[in-house]
Parts: sequence; structure tokens; C-alpha cells
Amino acid sequence: MVKKKKDSQEITTLTEPIATEEAISTNDLRTNLEEIKTWDGVIGYILRNTTSAAIDLNDPTKIIDYAILSSSALEASEELSKLFNLGKIKNIIVEGKETKVLSLTVGENRISIFLEKQADYEKILKKLQ
Amino acid sequence: MDNEVYSFALKSALDEIRNICPDITNTFIFKENGEIIIGDEATPEKTMAQVVDAFDGVFEKANAIGNIECITVDGNNGKVNISCLNDLYFVTVTSKKADINYVNTVTHVLIPTILRLLEKICPAPLNNTSILPETKPETKLDLQAETEEPEPLTETKEEDKIEEPEEKETEIKSEPLLPEPQTHQLMVENLGGLLAPSDTVRIDSVILSQWEDQYEGRKIEEIEIETFDGKSTRCKVKPIKNAKYEGKGTIQMPEKIQETLEIKKGELVRAKPVIE
Repeated sequence: MVKKKKDSQEITTLTEPIATEEAISTNDLRTNLEEIKTWDGVIGYILRNTTSAAIDLNDPTKIIDYAILSSSALEASEELSKLFNLGKIKNIIVEGKETKVLSLTVGENRISIFLEKQADYEKILKKLQ
Repeated sequence: MDNEVYSFALKSALDEIRNICPDITNTFIFKENGEIIIGDEATPEKTMAQVVDAFDGVFEKANAIGNIECITVDGNNGKVNISCLNDLYFVTVTSKKADINYVNTVTHVLIPTILRLLEKICPAPLNNTSILPETKPETKLDLQAETEEPEPLTETKEEDKIEEPEEKETEIKSEPLLPEPQTHQLMVENLGGLLAPSDTVRIDSVILSQWEDQYEGRKIEEIEIETFDGKSTRCKVKPIKNAKYEGKGTIQMPEKIQETLEIKKGELVRAKPVIE
């Protein structure tokens, strides 16, 4: 009985720090994104990793389209990196006539930020990198 | 001939851009439906097709942001830029040391100017089909053999003009000059179902009509399909039934033909009519 208890404690001790680090990293990103969301010209963001996703968009009807668009853009950039030997992708910007999307990967987190056409993404990149 | 002029002008422009900016490693132009218009010497057709294929999902959902104007992929070793010029997308790949402002100045001035000029001179080729240099069609030799005949034919035509006008007409009819088959680049889509014949592909009725017009109303029943790896096959052709695939530059292809050509959904192939 005592032995079992000890085992479970050990496991907890081993896993805790890793989980905390990941949580901090993702939480930091989320905090930054929440701040960015308040900036002028920012429409919203999607933050995804292997275990969770956070979406904050002004227009919820566009969630699916935006989610597919941003994941397609990130996948396309990976393909381009292989084809043209671009190395690690720093970011991808997809500009439409009305909106633009800044997508990037931070650690295991895939981030896409949706901006109005005239918004400045350089400031956002500085904040996130 | 128009295609040749276009091809030459655009290809020269792309190659010239690479000469002016050596940091530009690859350039090519494609249409929104995935049709590749032209590429520079350094970029294999297969690579162009893979790039277009990679952005398929992005273009599908581009309506959500008001259609694509520009895409920039920034990597540690270089950048890729895709700019929309009217209905065309111009791709430039640059090394990491490239002066992007200089590159943009050159590409965003030179290419639109040439496209505008070409459009004024003759708008047809960009609206109709790809102007990539075509692989020599198998029927070309036969066509050449046919085109060699007419020279003496025209001479006799003049001579016989007064005496035997009826005979001249029959002579011309018996050896018509067939134009070179117009090739289309199409994206492969799956074609399945219990009633779908395994030897028949489906393509846009507009393309079929274009070919039929080109060959004076002859019904196109067979086409030749060629992959970018050089594999080719002949098969029967019918118009697309499913409205979802109409006008999108696709070719619906049964699994068996895909296996023969060693291709799969999303890849690009060339198709041209078989005229016998």
C-alpha cells in the first residue's frame, strides 16, 4: 500500500515540471495574443498546439474559413521550405483585399493573427518573437 | 504563333529578372485555377506544380479575406513571394541576402508592364491556355507530313484554277491542314462510382467545345494525357457532370488511369485531343 503511494508521487514529481513549462509558454503566448487583440486593426487570432486551441475572432461566422485558411497557409509554407530549401519558416503573410493573416509557429504553437488591411504586423512579430 | 510570342516574351522577362537580380532564384507565373503559364529556366515544371498544389487550400478559402493579393513566406534561408497581377499569380523565390525592395521594384514594374503589353498585342493566349513550352506531340510528325504536301498543292491549285475548279476543291478537302492540338493543364480529381467506366475521364465541356471548334466541329472522343514525369496514356473523354468541378480546370479521372499514370488527386497533367 505504502509502496504504491510512493510510485504515484514519483510520477507526479517527474511530469509536473514539463507540464508547467508548456503551460507557461502557451499561457504567455495567450496573454500576449489577448493584448495584441486589443491593438488597432487586429480582428482576432487562432492559437493551436497538439493539445488545445484558442480562438478569439470578432466575427464568429468566419471561424471555420479562417481556421482552414491559416492551417493551409502554414502547411503550404512547410512544403515551400522543402521545395526551395528555405530553412525554418519564420512567418507567412497572406494578404487579401480586405484582410491579411500573419501566421507563425512558436515552439509547438501555431499562431494566426487576422488583421485589417492597413494594420502593421511588424509590431506584432516583435511582440511574439 | 501567338503562344510562341507570349512564351518567348514572358520567359525572356523572367530570365532577365534573374539576370538583373541574381538573388532571385526562381520565378514563374500561374493562374488561380492552377494552370501554370510560364516559368524561368531554373524552375522545373514539377516544382511549379507542387507549389501550386501546396496553395490549393489557401486559394479555396481566399474568399474569406477578399481573395489573395499577395503571399509572403519568410524562411531563414530565403523568401517566397506570390503576387496577384490581374488574374495571374507571379511567384518569386529569393535568397536571404536579397534586397527585397529592389526585387519588388523590378518585379512589380517589369512583369505587369510586359503582361499589359502582351494583353494589348494579343489577349487570347493568357485567356485560353498555358503557354508553357509543350512536349512534342506524337501526332506532330503526321501533321508535318501533311503540311509538307500543300506547297505543290497550292501551285497546282493556281494552274488548275480555270480549267478544273471542282477537282481542286476535292483535293483540298482530302488533305486538310489540322492545327496543332491545343494543350490544357488540368488538375486531377477522383472519379468513382459503380457506373463510372474505368477508361473514361471527364473534363470541362468548355474545353471540349474549344477543341471541337478548333477541329471544325469534329467530336472529341479521345484525349491524350501526359504527366510532368513524361508518362502518357490515351483514354475516352466525356464532359464533367458534377457542377462542383466545372470551370475549375480539373480532370476527373478513374483510379485505374491514375495508377497507369502514377499520379494522384491534386496533381497536374496536360491533356490534348486525339484527332485521327
